[in-house]
Amino acid sequence: MSFLEHNLKTVPTGFRKILHLNWPIVLLLMAICTVGFIMLYSVAGGSLRPWADPQIKRFALGMSLMLIIAMVPIWFWRNMAGVAYLGSLLLLVMVELFGAVGMGAQRWIDLGFMRLQPSELTKVTLVMILAAYYDWLGVGKVSRPIWVIIPLLLILIPTALVLRQPDLGTAILLVTGGGIIMFLAGVSWYYFGAVIAIATGIVAAVFRTRGTEWQFLKDYQYRRIDTFLDPSSDPLGAGYHITQSKIALGSGGFSGRGFMQGTQSRLNFLPEKHTDFIFTTLAEEFGFIGAFSLLTLYLLVLVFCAASAFSNKDRFASLLTLGVAATFFLFFAVNMSMVMGLAPVVGVPLPLVSYGGSAMLVLLVAFGLVQSAHVHRPR
Amino acid sequence: MSDNSELRTPLRPLARILAARRRGENPDNIEKENIRLRHEDMRDKSRLRSEGRLLVLGVFFLCAFGIVGVRMGQMAISTPIEPQSSGSGTGIVALRADITDRNGRILATNINTSALYAHPQDMVNPEGAAHALVGIFPELELERLLRDFTGERRFVWIRRQLSPEQQQAVFDIGEPGLLFGPREMRLYPNGDIAAHIMGGATYGREAVNSAEIVGTAGVEAQFDEFLRDPVNDGAPLQLSLDLTVQAATEDVLYGGMRLMNAEGASSVLMDVYTGEVIAIASLPDFDPNNRPRPATEGDASQSPLFNRAVQGVYELGSVFKIFTAAQAMEEGIANPSTEIETQGPLRWGRFTINDFHNYGPRLSLTDVIVRSSNVGTAHLAQMIGAERQRTFLGSLGLLEATPFEIIEARGGRPLLPPNWSEISTMTISYGHGLSSSPLHLATAYASVLNGGLRIEPTLLRQDGPRLGPRVVSAETSAAARSMLRQVVSRGTASFGEVPGYEVGGKTGTADKPRPQGGYYEDRTIATFASIFPASDPRYVLVVTLDEPETFIAGETRRTAGWTVVPVAAEMIRRIAPLLGLRPEIETEGPVGITLSSN
Repeated sequence: MSFLEHNLKTVPTGFRKILHLNWPIVLLLMAICTVGFIMLYSVAGGSLRPWADPQIKRFALGMSLMLIIAMVPIWFWRNMAGVAYLGSLLLLVMVELFGAVGMGAQRWIDLGFMRLQPSELTKVTLVMILAAYYDWLGVGKVSRPIWVIIPLLLILIPTALVLRQPDLGTAILLVTGGGIIMFLAGVSWYYFGAVIAIATGIVAAVFRTRGTEWQFLKDYQYRRIDTFLDPSSDPLGAGYHITQSKIALGSGGFSGRGFMQGTQSRLNFLPEKHTDFIFTTLAEEFGFIGAFSLLTLYLLVLVFCAASAFSNKDRFASLLTLGVAATFFLFFAVNMSMVMGLAPVVGVPLPLVSYGGSAMLVLLVAFGLVQSAHVHRPR
Repeated sequence: MSDNSELRTPLRPLARILAARRRGENPDNIEKENIRLRHEDMRDKSRLRSEGRLLVLGVFFLCAFGIVGVRMGQMAISTPIEPQSSGSGTGIVALRADITDRNGRILATNINTSALYAHPQDMVNPEGAAHALVGIFPELELERLLRDFTGERRFVWIRRQLSPEQQQAVFDIGEPGLLFGPREMRLYPNGDIAAHIMGGATYGREAVNSAEIVGTAGVEAQFDEFLRDPVNDGAPLQLSLDLTVQAATEDVLYGGMRLMNAEGASSVLMDVYTGEVIAIASLPDFDPNNRPRPATEGDASQSPLFNRAVQGVYELGSVFKIFTAAQAMEEGIANPSTEIETQGPLRWGRFTINDFHNYGPRLSLTDVIVRSSNVGTAHLAQMIGAERQRTFLGSLGLLEATPFEIIEARGGRPLLPPNWSEISTMTISYGHGLSSSPLHLATAYASVLNGGLRIEPTLLRQDGPRLGPRVVSAETSAAARSMLRQVVSRGTASFGEVPGYEVGGKTGTADKPRPQGGYYEDRTIATFASIFPASDPRYVLVVTLDEPETFIAGETRRTAGWTVVPVAAEMIRRIAPLLGLRPEIETEGPVGITLSSN
């Protein structure tokens, strides 16, 4: 019997739960998605097709899923964490075996009505399993080596599978997101120090082996790093994305060129303008004000998640909420840094704005879990 | 969860349970109360810890937010800069100005071609690409391409320039690792016309997306800075040359060189008032579109790259006599009818000066020129003296390199005698012992004969006369022209007569010096320096033939009157109408043709 179940009486039941949803987060998510629809409409040259329309449909599906998940008690999800994690691992293995190859990477399973990216799903299930693990584990054992190795394995197994696809962006998100949960769960600082030291060593090794038979990354990934270090070295080749998006951001200025007036993205200067680089369109059309507003919306989501987690006395619920928030943060922080030339181009979409079914559905599902944690918090 | 060893309080403390039972209360309440306390205690502990962690994370998030926000603002206020055409090669100004003739016809321009290079690491099928490339460009070596494409190299130049057909063929290979870069190419549409003036151009700094064109010789090198300077905004460099006249000159000169079996030939046509060079040629020549490499062995002065008209300094012979005559008249030593002693041979120390024929004891000054008497000229030179002769020749620009605007002109420095002795004075008076280029000679002729005002040779189009200080009086100049006219009408250059154009001129035949010293008996440099029309001078034409040899009238002839004069006459016949001169009926009746001599 857990403390949550113990407090069952005070938790709202039936449709009264809707009143107890974390409405600020719901509204913020809707606002962010709406920004996404507007941008997809604009990028398509003022047309719902080919991007805005399917995106809206997926949003409707995702919102419904979110509400349904929110209605289900959070302890059910905690009990499901292991199953969900194993399921997503299974899907990752399946994608390895049967997946469709696109853009040089094997990432999708075609489900008929949509293409599922198990790597996206893994982002949520990893958060769930880690939160459940630390909920189960006594606080005093958190830093013991044997109990540290288990979550590390939980993180590294899906990461290894994702890297094989290869999808560097998701791998970075998984490792960093998992690390943040471990950090929040109270794992000793020493471990993080050690990991940072080892990571530095690995980075050195990765660069040392470059050009040999043993190189760790694909050539295009090395080139992306090179380009990041000096994008001007090849503005028409590998540095093209960054150079063009910088131009777009610069030409947006303070207040932007106006809705549907972006040139950079409209004139097809930018590849991936509707997915990873949609932020440039926003920045060009709505300028600094628009871009900063979106950033603020994202930050508000984080603030409300943190507040919710803070007021939640259940360890699983609060770790889950913070884990989802951290993943969300990593999404937009990595994407924006990438677009603005602060980080290498690793292929992370702008959450809820970029075109892409799996990412949006998975994020809305994750926020469904956050809502469930909020609704069913012990009072 | 409840088995935490730190919790020492039992859930059902026996004493309290018993006490409660005694009071008739439900002991379960005590257990519930203890469970609650235990949970709260546990929660508070983990809470305390995670609060600190959350704070750290929050600060980190805020920093990230701040960085992203600041960056956003920074980029918003930045001015959008279009990427330069390339990373490497940015800053190379590839635009080079055109060069035109005096009428604006193109002598040199640029065309856009493509350069071909490869990124072997992007290649799908390096072997196939190498084979296909060898099929398109037979000059490429297959082994080398294969080695470059499959080895460590990340970048390989294949060709600097491609024709559109070749580019399409490479395109059709469909190899993504083969890339094109835009490339400007210097083009001389007239081929070898005015080759020595154009010089040539090559690539300086080059990158895949542009390359610098650098002049290597001729005006391209002389005006390299100007042609590349973007400040001029593409304004062409306008030369004094006239393309049509230049083409006609080269045409005739080439024919004359072949006809007279000469090794080489040169000609200079100059405007007597402006110093503009209208046509200047040197044979053999080359195609500046494909400038040959300088020969590493052999005589550089025999190379096609050698500009005989500007760089070639020769003892030009009797053409110098007119300077002596003009100076004698200017100094008041003689007038055209003064009798000059011509009895040869003239002995001076161990030297002997002879004439080609014996002209008897005396000739008038005019006849000394018309008959070309070395002895008479030497006598005049003795009267003039070394110092005055040197000053006079210096005032005509014969003692230093010309300021002509091609880089080769700096190398055309006259060769002077080591000490200007009296014997030197005497030989220089008839053109031996002092070497100068045909361009020097044309400049000096123009200065003496245009009315006596110094001019400088120039290759740039001028808007009006550029007259310098006076070198001889107008009367002297007119008398000199009259003497030269008579050289043609009744003297050594009788083959130079071109009806209607009143040609005046002086022949010169100099024995070629042996490299080891002394002179060849059978090798000459034949020169004809002319002015036309003689009474109203407009142009000076100097033509030289190197080692001419022709068999006419029963013997082998090497003298100027038999070789170069007919070539020059033909040239004047061709170019005078092109220059806009109308044939005039002459006031002096033509004199019958005299057989030519030195």
